[in-house]
Amino acid sequence: MLSRVADNLYWMSRYIERAESITRMVEVNQSSSLEFIEDALSEFWEPVLKAICASEIFNEHTKIDIGQFLFFGSGFPNSVKNCFLYARENARMVRDQLSVEMWVELNNIYLFFQSGQAEATFLQNPQEFFQKVIKFSLVFQGLSGATIPHDEGWRFMALGTYLERADQTSRMLDTLTFQKHEPTRLDLLAVLRSCVAQTAFRRQYKGELSMTNVADYLLFSRDFPRSIRFSIRCIDENLHSLSGVPSGNFSNEAERLIGSSLAMVNFTDIKIVMSNGLHQTIDDLQRKLINVGQCIFETYVLLPFELQSAEKSTFIQAQSQQQ
Amino acid sequence: MNSGQFSNYQTKSFFDEMFYFDEKTVVKPHYEKVYKRLNGLSADELDAKRSQAVSSFLEHGVTFTVYDDSDGIERVFPFDLIPRVIPKAEWVIVEQGLKQRILALNLFLHDIYHQARILKEGIIPKEIVETCPYYRKEIIGFDVPQDIYIHICGSDLIRNEEGTYMVLEDNGRCPSGVSYLLENRAIMKRAFPKTYQSMEVCSVEAYPELLLRTLEHLSPRQSQKPVCVLLSPGVYNSAYFEHTFLARQMGIEIVEGRDLIAIDNYVFMRTTLGLVQVDVIYRRLDDDYIDPLFFKNDSILGVPGLMEAYLKGNVSLANAVGTGLADDKVTYAFVPEMIKFYLGQDPILESVPTYLCWREKDRNYVLENLDKLVVKPANESGGYGMLIGTASTKQERNDFKFRIKENPREYIAQPIISLSRHPTFCDEGVMGRHVDLRPFILYGKDIEIVPGGLTRVALKKDSLVVNSSQGGGSKDTWVLKN
Repeated sequence: MLSRVADNLYWMSRYIERAESITRMVEVNQSSSLEFIEDALSEFWEPVLKAICASEIFNEHTKIDIGQFLFFGSGFPNSVKNCFLYARENARMVRDQLSVEMWVELNNIYLFFQSGQAEATFLQNPQEFFQKVIKFSLVFQGLSGATIPHDEGWRFMALGTYLERADQTSRMLDTLTFQKHEPTRLDLLAVLRSCVAQTAFRRQYKGELSMTNVADYLLFSRDFPRSIRFSIRCIDENLHSLSGVPSGNFSNEAERLIGSSLAMVNFTDIKIVMSNGLHQTIDDLQRKLINVGQCIFETYVLLPFELQSAEKSTFIQAQSQQQ
Repeated sequence: MNSGQFSNYQTKSFFDEMFYFDEKTVVKPHYEKVYKRLNGLSADELDAKRSQAVSSFLEHGVTFTVYDDSDGIERVFPFDLIPRVIPKAEWVIVEQGLKQRILALNLFLHDIYHQARILKEGIIPKEIVETCPYYRKEIIGFDVPQDIYIHICGSDLIRNEEGTYMVLEDNGRCPSGVSYLLENRAIMKRAFPKTYQSMEVCSVEAYPELLLRTLEHLSPRQSQKPVCVLLSPGVYNSAYFEHTFLARQMGIEIVEGRDLIAIDNYVFMRTTLGLVQVDVIYRRLDDDYIDPLFFKNDSILGVPGLMEAYLKGNVSLANAVGTGLADDKVTYAFVPEMIKFYLGQDPILESVPTYLCWREKDRNYVLENLDKLVVKPANESGGYGMLIGTASTKQERNDFKFRIKENPREYIAQPIISLSRHPTFCDEGVMGRHVDLRPFILYGKDIEIVPGGLTRVALKKDSLVVNSSQGGGSKDTWVLKN
């Protein structure tokens, strides 16, 4: 398939996943924030903003409601509204790759945000608003599973989804390391709920809610679809199915990096992570994942001779790796 | 006639597509079923059908972009639910006329870029051709693939006060609108299935297949299945929806300049598996932008080196380079002469009488009679930059006088033709609105025209300008089988 089309599909999925993550995070934290008086609010949101690298931009926009900033802030490149705008722009360039249903869903959520209706719903009935955004993302993922062939393009979409998901889960987890105090029960629950993991977590740990257990679950769960290990395994599988090279080997830098990340999450345990420092581990992982994204681009979008002479390339990467 | 949706309808002095006036307003026979069906609809049913159509367009992203429009980038092309019906007998003649015309235009382009007999014999002044901004002397002597220049042509037809079909202009570069034709049909079949079925309307669905066959006919590599692509300027182009629509329907890749690369006089597309050689490019990009090296500009839309590959015969372009000459409204004035010169025939379709401001005699007449004429720039499209004399202010006329004197070659004038009208749903009810017709002609192994075309309608009251960029809408066009 066309290299650019692969790139567009990859970014379309990333932006949709990103919009969903941010929405879940705000939904959860907004309900937790009710426990705080107004003066303490900015302190409450600080770790969240830090984890998604939005702290500085937000502080330039004082007097804006944080929810409105994260959903509609025009100055915030990763606002949910912007995510949908970019997702749709990418989709528009590859409409022939999507099913009509997928396009219609994406276009509708885009129109909902563009029309101002989204902002009105957010103010009047935030719960309905959150549900609508999250439901869109789930319907879209369901449709991509059920209405288009699982071919090369689909693999690039999956790569976008899982790279973004691994990244977002690691960021949610990272909010715990940004707290000024020991994470409270409320903080731990908020992280689990942002990753839709509270029920699954309870089943595994029977209520032993601790920082170590939460980190263990979100980093290393074998079967929870939002854990970092699960996402990395999916990235690994999809990369190998693109190249046809068996897992455990590599034919390009993206495969090598993801293989080494997979080995890391497969053969480390939470005790080692906690003694090395949770934040440090997350940081290393995030850096590796960003590199994986870059290497996918270099492998499948750029031509070999353009790699050596970046300036000669007419094909500049239009969409920066965010954050 | 005095009940229902059409109760207040008046044909006035215009030629009406649906009614004729014989002491009272009478429905033409080929419209009877449409009339009965629509007239029987309640206002609520109608509203429901209309909003269904609009939301279907919006949801599917059937939109176009208006340049310099501050209130949002994308709009739905307004669609009217009353179909335009053309009886078979009328269409047969129009079809013959269009075929004759595309043949003559292609012979003309071949001649101009080879021996230029028509200039040597003084039938068309040499100066006219050489001053056309779309004349490409770079391709003189080049034999285009299959000797066809215009593979896809959109000629705009109007009907005058007597109902005579006339050609208003030819679009031989990248005519657009065919996706609306196909979408309109899909919507009408959903909105009025029984009426559609009972009237035995010619199908238009074959267009994408015919287009692909036309493109494949040009391939320099006949030994294998040709690789055709559609080259689009990108997502911000006003016709982007159409580009993706056609690519999807044909099952070919839609590419942008940056997806293609020319190496050693061959053109390749960049895929995840490496480079793939391209045989035919259906380009929706004007000549000026296709190759920045060749046409010496800093366009980032094109492919550096594409023209070299084209001139070596390693890749084909549709339409060929240099066809803009046929779009020039000054060239247009000479098409009847071309038909006589190359085919030895009389034109089947009439042209609109045209005054060339470039000719002194014509210019003087135009300057004297600005208030009765329509003045058009010779090389603009989309209905931009026109003066409609009867609707102009003195200031505007003075302005045009100045412009014509400054640059007479760039202006033509025509008598104002009162285009035929068609009943159309407006806010005030069903009203007569002016329409034209853009059929799409494909010239490959054979000449093929899907029956009908895109009927464009000027939605503003009394407006004669049907272009989408000027507040126009569209209708489905039903050519009858019998």
